[in-house]
Amino acid sequence: MHSPLSSAPAAVGPGRLWRWAAFAWLLVVLAVAGHQWRFWQQDRIDTDVLALLPLNEQAPDVARATQQLSEQLSRQVVVLLGTAQWADSRQAAQVFRQSLAQQQLAPLREEPLAQQTSMQSALDFYQPWRQALLTPQQRERLQHTPREALVQQALQDLYQPGMQARLTDWVSDPLGLWTQWWAARAAQSQARPRDGELWVSAQERQWVLLQYGLSGSAFRLSGEPILQEAMQTALAQVRQQWPDAQLLLAGVPLHAEAAATQAHGEINTIGWGSLAGVLLLAWLAFRSVRPVALVGLSLLVGTAVALSVTALFFDQVHLLTLVFGASLVGVAEDYGIHYFAARQGEPDRTPHALMRALQPALWLALGTSVIAYVALGAAAFPGLRQMALFSVVGLAAAMLTVVCWFPWLDRGQVPQSRIAHRIGQTLNAWPRWRAARWGSALLCALMAAGIWLGGGVNIQDDVRQLQNGNPSLIAQQRQVGEMLGLPSPAQFYLLKGSDAQQVLQREEALKARLDALVPQHQLAGYTAVSDWVPSAQRQAQDAALVRSVQADVLQGINAQLGEAFAPPAVKATAPLDVQDWLAQPIAAAARPLWLGTYDGATRSMLMLRGVQGQAALPALAAAAEGLEGVTWVDKPAEISGLLQRYRISMTELLVLGHALVLGALWLRFGRKAWRAWVPTVLASLAVVAVMAAWGQPWQLFNVLALMLLLGVGIDYGIFLQEHEDDPHAWLAVVIGAGSTWLSFGLLGLSSTPALRAFGVTLMLGLPLVLVLAPLFRAGTVVCSDRTTIA
Amino acid sequence: MKRVPLWGAVLAVCANLMAFSPVQAVPSAPVAAKTEAANAQALLAQVRQRVQDAPVVRGQFTQLKTVQGFKQPLKSSGDFVVARGKGIAWQVRQPFASTLIVKPDSLLSRAADGSVAMQMKAQDEPVLRTINAMLFAVMAADLAQLSQYFEVTGQVHSSGWKLHLVPRDAMLAQWLQAVDLSGQQFVQEVQLQEARGDRSQILIQNPAAEQALRAQDASLFE
Repeated sequence: MHSPLSSAPAAVGPGRLWRWAAFAWLLVVLAVAGHQWRFWQQDRIDTDVLALLPLNEQAPDVARATQQLSEQLSRQVVVLLGTAQWADSRQAAQVFRQSLAQQQLAPLREEPLAQQTSMQSALDFYQPWRQALLTPQQRERLQHTPREALVQQALQDLYQPGMQARLTDWVSDPLGLWTQWWAARAAQSQARPRDGELWVSAQERQWVLLQYGLSGSAFRLSGEPILQEAMQTALAQVRQQWPDAQLLLAGVPLHAEAAATQAHGEINTIGWGSLAGVLLLAWLAFRSVRPVALVGLSLLVGTAVALSVTALFFDQVHLLTLVFGASLVGVAEDYGIHYFAARQGEPDRTPHALMRALQPALWLALGTSVIAYVALGAAAFPGLRQMALFSVVGLAAAMLTVVCWFPWLDRGQVPQSRIAHRIGQTLNAWPRWRAARWGSALLCALMAAGIWLGGGVNIQDDVRQLQNGNPSLIAQQRQVGEMLGLPSPAQFYLLKGSDAQQVLQREEALKARLDALVPQHQLAGYTAVSDWVPSAQRQAQDAALVRSVQADVLQGINAQLGEAFAPPAVKATAPLDVQDWLAQPIAAAARPLWLGTYDGATRSMLMLRGVQGQAALPALAAAAEGLEGVTWVDKPAEISGLLQRYRISMTELLVLGHALVLGALWLRFGRKAWRAWVPTVLASLAVVAVMAAWGQPWQLFNVLALMLLLGVGIDYGIFLQEHEDDPHAWLAVVIGAGSTWLSFGLLGLSSTPALRAFGVTLMLGLPLVLVLAPLFRAGTVVCSDRTTIA
Repeated sequence: MKRVPLWGAVLAVCANLMAFSPVQAVPSAPVAAKTEAANAQALLAQVRQRVQDAPVVRGQFTQLKTVQGFKQPLKSSGDFVVARGKGIAWQVRQPFASTLIVKPDSLLSRAADGSVAMQMKAQDEPVLRTINAMLFAVMAADLAQLSQYFEVTGQVHSSGWKLHLVPRDAMLAQWLQAVDLSGQQFVQEVQLQEARGDRSQILIQNPAAEQALRAQDASLFE
């Protein structure tokens, strides 16, 4: 579009191309408006922070396992309601339940608990394989205890006071092995049924466990904490009767809701805050409604087009994209401001003629910004790609609005403003740095050396920079996890084999190693499918052991008590199989761990309970070593490694980006190109130096912000090179920089550490570029000075 | 490991299944009608008046256990100590010596040679705490506690009292059909009727109240 417009003859009236362009753009904007209408009807906003991360190309299996796991957990809410007395807790749970059920807004459905019949059906299902199931402790005991001692044990049990709650008749299981096996299965959770509720006793309180699922096909994140409010309302009703009642909540939907609420607040602060700032600056500079309204229009169109195009390319738009996108307002306003500043400078020129003259600088500025954002998107982070696409499209759309529409819509005079005049005049008072060429090179070298000698920046590739979780929710989540003994999704093992049997055998080999770590208190336990379905090999071994022991025990009892028990006849049964088990309701306990067969391999996960902090991780990682098909996955460490890799490669890309931009400037300005480029380089180095001196963490997102600084900061150099000593160009630069600074300053308030890093880096860098850029004007003054001396 | 604690184990299993497999809600146990509740309260109050509340009760016991498949009932005898707040120790003397110690938060069985045959801790098995509290309530005829777990009916005569306990919790009722208690100043007879048909009858002999544990017994609860 650039060349045909600028090559149009400088006629008095606007040419056909101008008309055509304005009309075409109108069609585009109308289409976008239609799309926007639909977009907000659907729920297409993503809040999962991990969705921003790239799939780990080094471990696709792990990525897939994690995804499967999070999909299964994404709709569950766990509620613990506790009072000091169980009877109170039970009644309180009823009140809570009713209160929640009455709140129509909250899309929650209670997931009822199993009836006793399901226990019976589980027992019936397992019955044929009863003898083939042993816990590791049982196996150990049966293998190593003398048979005589086992007979004594059986006698003791028979004669001790109390009752024998057995799952079979005595002769079928004289040692009570099956009950013990079930008890070990039960020990994987701390919740127990009591009076028709699930009961947890902890912290000197008696808790009722309630499980809820999100109902409805899509969970709409409206920015209102609907779930949380519903829970608190229900709690308030409970507290009318039981003032000491406590509520603990856990579940992904609550975190998603909290993130959404927070992000909505931030989008509003950043978006509206910077819009208000931009419009105020525009008003101060131009003292007229028209420029303010038109600049506002360009921003509106830019944002809407950006959102629509992002939604077309990506399945879901991430909340953080919107938060980041809100700061776009501060960059996209540059074009409109620039146009009006030029109008003020040349009030007699027709808008279209003026626009033609402005176009080279505008396109170049857009081009460098686009280079910077595209470099951002070059990282394989889906989140960054979204942000990059959003920004590039938004900038281009704002720019096209300015080029295609402003000359038509901007009729009449632009009044002069005293403030604008004064700002413009400061350029003349601005010093020029005569020894800029060598001086700046020296300064760059000094700063680089200083950073190097000062020990560099405080690098932090921690996953925490992505999390902005609500601390109270996180604390509750942890508490619930501890109280219920839930496995942690942060670390696990991934097992892979050619078929189900091989996977189960590998699980068993790994579990043998983990069993040795449990007594060392490295972990409390684990959860695996092979707990419920041992490998066929293991089943056969255990069944043989159990039969031999039972025959001996019965014989011993017969001898001691004069009875005539005979071991039950052995019925030939095929081993218990994973597929049969998966179809049973009881499999819900561990079904998520079975990842199934794809890409020619069968996979499962083994999860850990009660891992004793970071100190236990090396031993757990070592447990996987030397076992074929077993991979230790430490999710936080993996993400940190990923962030580190990207930090390094983005730093390289930043250097490359600078080289590309310098090349682009060279095409336009030739040997003076460095004058537009160096201010940004200096500012970037200064930001790094300040962050290092200040001891602030340095991370991927600071590097990405420097990328952005390149895109935005270079613009100031371009405008000043294009329109040397033009106070109106300077006015546009100052106003533009002011609003950009405001936007990113507001982004610096974000509670997401990554976005805050963006904001803070740019908040420091942008003013530096602004102050430095005019110093690097070559300008006529230098030349005239030289002539005078000569 | 097939004694009383198995209630705990089995309850635990059921709990887990419930936690894992969402099927249908269990209707909560119906609350006894008001008059019934009042009657039970009156009954319990009367029994309470008669039962001696001593820090330590000790004596001998004889148990007759009927287990399906066995030709004859299994008879055993020994000593017991019930110490308020500390627990219950059953020392089986005949025919096979062993010790069973029920503490509020653990359960321990020792063989004749003193080796630990079985141990359960409430921190591993939360139901144990409740089960042990219930056992203690049975032995001490702690009626307030008992009515938490059971529907209580019975009679009080001049010669003594009888209580018939039916578990309130459906889950427990799957394993235990009823408990019958009778006594005067002390509990004299406990009958456990299991849902599967097995039955235990424990007769208490020579119960005596004492103010403190004897030295040799104190070590049992350590």
